Amino acid sequence: MLRLFSSIAIGLCVCFGAAQAQDVKITDNMPEAVIDLNGTTVTISRIQDTENLLTGDFAKTSRPCPPFCIHPMTIEDGVKTVGELEVIDFLSTKVADGSGLLIDSRVPDFFVRGAIPGAINVPFTTLEASNPYRTDIIKALGAVEIGGGLDFTNALDLMLYCNGPWCDQSPRAIRGLLEAGYPAEKLFYYRGGVQDWVMLGLTTVTPSNDG
Amino acid sequence: MIRTVLGFFIAALTICIVIILAPFSSDDEPATIDVTRNETGNVTAPVAAPIGSTGTLAPGVAEAIAPAPGVAGQAAARILAASRAGQEPELKIQTDTSSIGDTTAGVLAALGLATGAAPVPTPAEQGGDEMMNMTASVLSGIRGATGQPAAAPQQNDLQTLVAWALKEGQSDSYIDALLNEAASAGQITVPNMLVTSDGRVDTATLLASIVQEATAATTGQRAAVPTTPLGPSDGVEVRVVQRAGETEQFRFYTVGSGDSLGSISVKFYGSVEYYPRIFEANRTILSSPDRIQTGQRLVIPELG
Repeated sequence: MLRLFSSIAIGLCVCFGAAQAQDVKITDNMPEAVIDLNGTTVTISRIQDTENLLTGDFAKTSRPCPPFCIHPMTIEDGVKTVGELEVIDFLSTKVADGSGLLIDSRVPDFFVRGAIPGAINVPFTTLEASNPYRTDIIKALGAVEIGGGLDFTNALDLMLYCNGPWCDQSPRAIRGLLEAGYPAEKLFYYRGGVQDWVMLGLTTVTPSNDG
Repeated sequence: MIRTVLGFFIAALTICIVIILAPFSSDDEPATIDVTRNETGNVTAPVAAPIGSTGTLAPGVAEAIAPAPGVAGQAAARILAASRAGQEPELKIQTDTSSIGDTTAGVLAALGLATGAAPVPTPAEQGGDEMMNMTASVLSGIRGATGQPAAAPQQNDLQTLVAWALKEGQSDSYIDALLNEAASAGQITVPNMLVTSDGRVDTATLLASIVQEATAATTGQRAAVPTTPLGPSDGVEVRVVQRAGETEQFRFYTVGSGDSLGSISVKFYGSVEYYPRIFEANRTILSSPDRIQTGQRLVIPELG
């Protein structure tokens, strides 16, 4: 009897221990994503504390609309909307092989407080027509000046995000890019943005240098 | 008379170059310097050796402007090389509307000297500056991520070149040749008020402005408006108009060879920053600040 109890106890302990040790994985077969970006290793994982709750700005449910209105699933014709797994996949394929960029389109203040690893900051204001130097950015993204226009054949794929589904900074950046001639099929919209990203406990980084 | 003014410039130039370059002999340089050094580091070796001996900046002004296009052009091309791939070179100087204050501040920042805000920027200019800075950091971010060679954005290439040349101790005539080569090859854009009536880059005015800013930053004193009276031999003509008991004085200036709107602004007001006043007063004959032509008769408004 005692033996039975102790074996049950041990079994329980093992189960409990196993439950504690079990990762909060990204997907069943992806505990975390380790991506080599231009010589820097980026690791994306999730917060392992299953009791963890969001605090601060991204715990907010309600912001005044306008301007913080809920955006549709499809932001512009031809621009694909993606979720977290596609963001991670985009980083490990397109960004890793140099054919794409993950763009944080928020103003630098937000970017430095926490961004998706591997993202670079291109504030939406710099992509709008009011920026006289916008063409320089477009060209840095791979567009080539031909005659009077721009050729986007070798332009990078861009995935853009901002604060969340209620944030209009990435939609505005996307519209700015389209207006500058960027092909819609090279643009991707991560609608969830930082709010959905942190809600899932995914890794953010606070970029220290560029911004 | 021009010689006297030039003489003053040369003297000021010498003193100030010493002031600018003195801090860099020490080892504890500020971090900003490293950035530029990295950008230009790979070109220093091939270029510096043959030309480093040309001499200091000041004597260079006195030298006749005898460009060494081969070497200068090569240097410019190498400094700006990789990121320019795919750009068609143009023969005409490309201009932008950036203020020379930004260019000057950019050069001085690259040399490790902070000037603070450029004098009297209009709100529109401020917005433009902010965008330019933001664009600059965006571009460096993109280049960092894509592994493209780090280069300043196009607007700052002029600054990069000038800062590099000053740090190398290149002569004024060398810098002039370098900038003109790069500008005519479409590698840099030049503030439009720095285009002379001959369609060249007004390097002398740019360098003088850098010196002026550097002096202001290190001594806290701004250069005074030149007090030397300008006479007919300088192309200046004064007309007194009497109207309803009021006497108004108009000054006219006949554009000479090598003048830019910036240099005329310096001549009359002591600073390039006032060139928009001259431009505005002559809108009827100037379609753009870089369209100034030898022989044009410009009204020089009084600063009021």
